[in-house]
Amino acid sequence: MSKRILLACAGGFSTSMLVEKMKEEVKKRGEDVFIDACSESKITENLPADIIMLGPQMGHIEDEVKDLVNNEVPVTTIDMADYGMMNGEKVLDVALELINNG
Amino acid sequence: MGKDGDMKIKIQKFASKIQKNRYVNSISDGLASALPVILGGAIFTLIDTINIPAYQNFLESTNLKALTGIPPAITIELLSLYAVFSIAFNTAKQFKSDGFSSGIVALMSFLIVTPIGILNDDATMALSFQWLGATGLFVAIIIGVFTGRLIPIILEKGLYIKMPKGVLPTIEKSFAALTPAFTAIFIMLVIRGIFEATRFGNVHEFIYSILQVPLTNLGSSWWAYLIIIAAMSVLWFFGIHGTIVVMSVIMPIWASLGLENLAAFRAGEPLPHMIPGGSFFMVYTALGGTGATIGLSLVLLFAKSKRYKVLGKLAIIPGITGINEPVMFGIPIVLNMKLLIPLIVSPIIVSVIAIVATFTGIVPPLRGIGLPLGTPLLVNGFLEGGVRVAILQAVLVVVSVVMYYPFLRSLDRDALRLESESNHSTSSDSASVS
Repeated sequence: MSKRILLACAGGFSTSMLVEKMKEEVKKRGEDVFIDACSESKITENLPADIIMLGPQMGHIEDEVKDLVNNEVPVTTIDMADYGMMNGEKVLDVALELINNG
Repeated sequence: MGKDGDMKIKIQKFASKIQKNRYVNSISDGLASALPVILGGAIFTLIDTINIPAYQNFLESTNLKALTGIPPAITIELLSLYAVFSIAFNTAKQFKSDGFSSGIVALMSFLIVTPIGILNDDATMALSFQWLGATGLFVAIIIGVFTGRLIPIILEKGLYIKMPKGVLPTIEKSFAALTPAFTAIFIMLVIRGIFEATRFGNVHEFIYSILQVPLTNLGSSWWAYLIIIAAMSVLWFFGIHGTIVVMSVIMPIWASLGLENLAAFRAGEPLPHMIPGGSFFMVYTALGGTGATIGLSLVLLFAKSKRYKVLGKLAIIPGITGINEPVMFGIPIVLNMKLLIPLIVSPIIVSVIAIVATFTGIVPPLRGIGLPLGTPLLVNGFLEGGVRVAILQAVLVVVSVVMYYPFLRSLDRDALRLESESNHSTSSDSASVS
């Protein structure tokens, strides 16, 4: 089954930019990964996911999101610099690392 | 950094408490869910009222005018009906209960406390639009949250009539399901009865004059507006999405300000509010995103360092549509003392210019359409107030450039120096990596 990565921010706008960069990277590597972005209020509707990654501007609700998914999947906040530079490669690495070992 | 880090954690906790408060969340999500309907009405208000004689003649002669006026009438003028359902739905969901049945009961509750009249023929019952639009919004919010919370409480605590032994469990269950509706009917009738005995006549009149008018007057003042946008910038400095945190609290007030302007615009009356928060923020203040960072994104395009030039290309298109996370985190602006001043001062300066321009009549007050995030700069200004507003936006973009330029130039110089240093020292390393 393909792995599912869900990115969430306020409106799902800036995370969708990053999703595009991550998808390019997935294509390059030929991996089977599904990536999507949504607003933080729509996380429940966009489950299941193997990992939830929050934009750094949403880092303050990380604990609430962990509760929301009952700690069943890893929830993490994306690194500020990677987010700002839209570093899809690095964020994808972090996501896969957490799915496999988290 | 350590001190900043502590401060950041404290502020993060505070921000999450506000934003993730279940009641605040219910209201802001509820209003946000009603947004497509409002926007539909707003767009048709524009279509209906474009002030070109030939166009208006065309609408009249083809009878299209009868159609184009319908969407605004049944959306903006009936907004509270959508809002009460949507807010109750979201509140019940926040408390993990059935949203739909809460929404239905809330709609019924809202109608119970709303006056019903008889038309002049002495026979036809009629529901006046008077309290169904923006004027009824606060009652819709209160009833939405109340019923949305009431139903989960009744069901959780088992506060329903217990049947005697021997009655089939299915029957008990179906009666239990009726309890919330009957409780709501009873409470709403009591409220209606009480207010009919007062000088207000109904709960709408009471809430409107005691709560909604004072709060919206406060919320539409220029100093409240400036405090609100400064708070957003400060939160952003700590890396928190200040806009969404503050908006979640201020949304009911900003929404009613915008809707009152929109209703007046539709009726061809003078617009009541000079600073309809939501529209004002999107058109004048959040130029390129919170912090009025459009100037920064433009300056980046001409940066000398490779790092900032790359970022500029990445940031400019989202910036035009009001999304500025790339510059917030890419430069970064977040926790960067060197950009704290323009981050807080630029939005205030552009807003003050826009406020003065509005009060002196250089530009018309905004219509309160409340275009969604993602509507490009200048386009949103034009739709919200016409050509003069778009021209003012262009002027404010220049102001933003002037504000950010000196600060970025020094950052760019540092970055350039770092780049040339690392090129000299690690040229062999990078060669082996690539």
